[in-house]
Amino acid sequence: MALLRPSSRSRRRGPDATGTRMWTWFMLPGTLWMTGFLIASLVLVAVLAVGTTDDLGNPRFGFDLAGVRALADPAYTEVLARSLGYALLTCAVCLLIAYPVAYTIALHGGRYKHALIAAIVVPFFANYLVRMYGWSVVLSDDGPLLRALRAVGLADGDTKILNTGVGVVAGLVYGFVVFMIIPLYAALERLDVSLIEAGRDLYGGPVRTFFFVTLPATRQGAAAGLVLVFLPAMGDFVSAQLMGGPDQIMIGNLIQDKFFQGQNWPLGSALTMLLMLVLLIGMLGYLRRTRKDEAEARR
Amino acid sequence: MTLLKLPSAKAPTRPAARTRARRGRADRRPRVLIAVTALFFLLLYLPIAVVALFSFNSKKSLTVFGGFSLRWYRTFAHDDVLIASLGTSLRISLVAMAGSVLLGVALALGLVRCRTRLGSLAGLIMLVPLITPEIVTGVASMLLFKGLGVALSTGTVMLAEITFSISYVTVILRSRVAALNPEVEEAAMDLGATRWQAVRLVTLPALLPAVLASAVLIFALVFDDFVLAYFTTGVDPQPLSVRIYSAIRFGVQPTINAVGTLMLAGSICLIALALFIPRLFGRRGGLDILSGE
Amino acid sequence: MDATPAVRLEGVSKQFADSYAVHHLDLDIEAGHFFSLLGPSGCGKTTSLRMIGGFSDPTEGSVLLAGEDVTALPPNKRNVNTVFQSYALFDHLSITDNVAFGLKRKGVAKAEIRRRVGEMLELVQLDGLADRKPRTLSGGQRQRVALARALVNRPAVLLLDEPLAALDLKLRRQMQVELKQIQREVGITFVFVTHDQDEALTMSDRIAVMNKGRIEQCGTPEDIYEHPATRFVASFMGTSNLMTGTYRGGEVALDQGPALAVGPRSDIADGSAVSVSVRPEKIWLSDFEPGMSKLRGVLRDTVYSGPTTTYLIELAPGVTLSVLEQNTARARMEDRWSGGESVEFGWRPEHCLVLA
Repeated sequence: MALLRPSSRSRRRGPDATGTRMWTWFMLPGTLWMTGFLIASLVLVAVLAVGTTDDLGNPRFGFDLAGVRALADPAYTEVLARSLGYALLTCAVCLLIAYPVAYTIALHGGRYKHALIAAIVVPFFANYLVRMYGWSVVLSDDGPLLRALRAVGLADGDTKILNTGVGVVAGLVYGFVVFMIIPLYAALERLDVSLIEAGRDLYGGPVRTFFFVTLPATRQGAAAGLVLVFLPAMGDFVSAQLMGGPDQIMIGNLIQDKFFQGQNWPLGSALTMLLMLVLLIGMLGYLRRTRKDEAEARR
Repeated sequence: MTLLKLPSAKAPTRPAARTRARRGRADRRPRVLIAVTALFFLLLYLPIAVVALFSFNSKKSLTVFGGFSLRWYRTFAHDDVLIASLGTSLRISLVAMAGSVLLGVALALGLVRCRTRLGSLAGLIMLVPLITPEIVTGVASMLLFKGLGVALSTGTVMLAEITFSISYVTVILRSRVAALNPEVEEAAMDLGATRWQAVRLVTLPALLPAVLASAVLIFALVFDDFVLAYFTTGVDPQPLSVRIYSAIRFGVQPTINAVGTLMLAGSICLIALALFIPRLFGRRGGLDILSGE
Repeated sequence: MDATPAVRLEGVSKQFADSYAVHHLDLDIEAGHFFSLLGPSGCGKTTSLRMIGGFSDPTEGSVLLAGEDVTALPPNKRNVNTVFQSYALFDHLSITDNVAFGLKRKGVAKAEIRRRVGEMLELVQLDGLADRKPRTLSGGQRQRVALARALVNRPAVLLLDEPLAALDLKLRRQMQVELKQIQREVGITFVFVTHDQDEALTMSDRIAVMNKGRIEQCGTPEDIYEHPATRFVASFMGTSNLMTGTYRGGEVALDQGPALAVGPRSDIADGSAVSVSVRPEKIWLSDFEPGMSKLRGVLRDTVYSGPTTTYLIELAPGVTLSVLEQNTARARMEDRWSGGESVEFGWRPEHCLVLA
């Protein structure tokens, strides 16, 4: 009942109070639904990470740390390290691509600005799987990209993208770069052009201006973009499946494997919790960073 | 997605005249930047173009174009399994759209208006799907259904998709509800409407464009989603996206190009429509539908 | 004659977190009056109005409408209607449907609704715009729609929350006159919230001046302007020359400057610290009458503003009085004195008010 009490003190039964009651009823179905299906299921994953399975592969509750202990196996730590590496590399590449693109559109897009951003966003929200599949065709050994590179002498007959780490990262970048572009674009759009001009006067060259003026002013947008890219990249398993080989699998592939092929649910759950843990650490780092930024801004 | 503080795109808009006057030197066309952007757009659309192009290929190859043909579309039209999957996908999308819009709109209204501790708690729960990768949601949903002894089926996909979509609807609608003038609802009550009538007669009509846009968006996102569907589907006609996933993994069939092209075209149209809906109502349309800002 | 007041607030308080927005308010509003709640922003006037309308629960006390306790009733069960500051029109409905909204809720017959809406739109001079959407109207027109939408229900009391605040000055003056006319025509009690003292003075039958959640003074416009009860009222209503000093036997010895004769006051103890207020327009610069308090000061500045001129006269170091004179055909002060000169001025003793 304490939960229903408004945070500002108003004890009377009156119009305000009945309003609060009605809005609570509005909120309840969705909240209960989410709690029942989502929160409960996440708790179940945590519980199952220390559980077992019966002979048929059905989950059994219990307390068995076999799944958790298995995470220390070098085979898994290696996958985790690789996933982290790929995700971070993806973040870096996305940043490198998104800055010039967002900058060009925000500051030089003129009246086509909105159309250009929509042209990026719309296909990105369209079918992920088909896009990734198309991308794998583009990156394939005799696909258009390598053919073009060979034609201009930037690649030879042995150059491969598919089935390499480069291919997986390329897939992740293609999949999620939009999450970097949107916040950066928003930040750059807000940027006062006169700041850049002042920077030109102070620092001279455009490169110095970028590092001393534009970059600091859009740091928050970049930070948001990094988190938005890191989250899905870390959990992805499609890119590694389509662009990578057996040596490039990520934690998502492992989880999928434990649930579908291996039928080792406790281990799969433990891996899932491990993934959540990594992401939570990333999120907390981001939140602390923005809190600090806000505190500084307020000063 | 609002959890992450995206700098708002609609924040201080500079007066156009001043911007133009101030541009000066910064306006010099930077060729390198424009070239990079052009290359980006090329690579962005190339895979889509490739899929679309080879869906019209008369040959079975994915690298050699043999001539224009509707062969693979015809194959698709006669593939009963794929057509059944299409039906499943449509049903899932419709149910998930209806369910999540209903729950999400109510949740958004409640979250904005209800300043109780329960409200803040609900606000936090609502954000969980947005920071959880789909694979985790998928695994968790599957375990829940297994744990409850529910056989996986089209129904379980629907439940899982609703759960995941509520957050999207809520995030989109919440900023709209917050932007409403609270006096309008009070005015309705002042004129004799009960609280519920005020919501029905005044608030919901004002939210209609955003509700429609989010409904269209959810339809497209659910139709396209495969991770959740993959983990929660049974063996009854599987959703189309799961079918495509299996097909892509186990050797390529050109039919997939045709199905993929249709799906891409469909969802691009729907998402563009979602962006455009607010303009039909004379409101400012835009990307904020997608970013929830 | 002891008629039941249209609105009565009994010990009403509204507490937010740890501060009072409204503090133990007692107020009677007589039926048929144009009543203004006047005060600076944050004084609690809008909160009071919202509690009468039913949009806000009082933390303590009761709200009575025509003698009936409505404290626990929602807005739709109260026989009052509100004109909101933002107008709060329903953007998706036409002007007609906006105005008809309340009647439809009440289940009034269709023909009757049509007739009354038509009449009302005529009253507010919007009959040509019936089918338009609110978004296409100007600020003044939207204001009239809001008024029509509330009045058409013939409420016992109409609440108006700074309805003219968003209009430009000229339109505002015009609407002030119209609102007053409409109020006389329909005879409904108006409770009008404003921070604009001119507006309150021109339109009201009675005014309650509020400050920090309390009523400082309640009375007719003349009362309030001519006989402010507190320092706050004196300074908030128009300009006042406020001076501090000590009362002793019919005189106030200013902290800075001479002693002023104010007449004996039985309610003020000798030796208590008081404020003295003289309105700028009550100060004479020539043609003195017998019995006036007369003083001398140094003319520091003159501010010409069309029909009037303001003179700043230094009475003593740190005490500067402003004096307002009409620029009649007869006298312009510049012809008489120049800056830095010593001038004589005076006022009738009754215009020198002592505020405890």
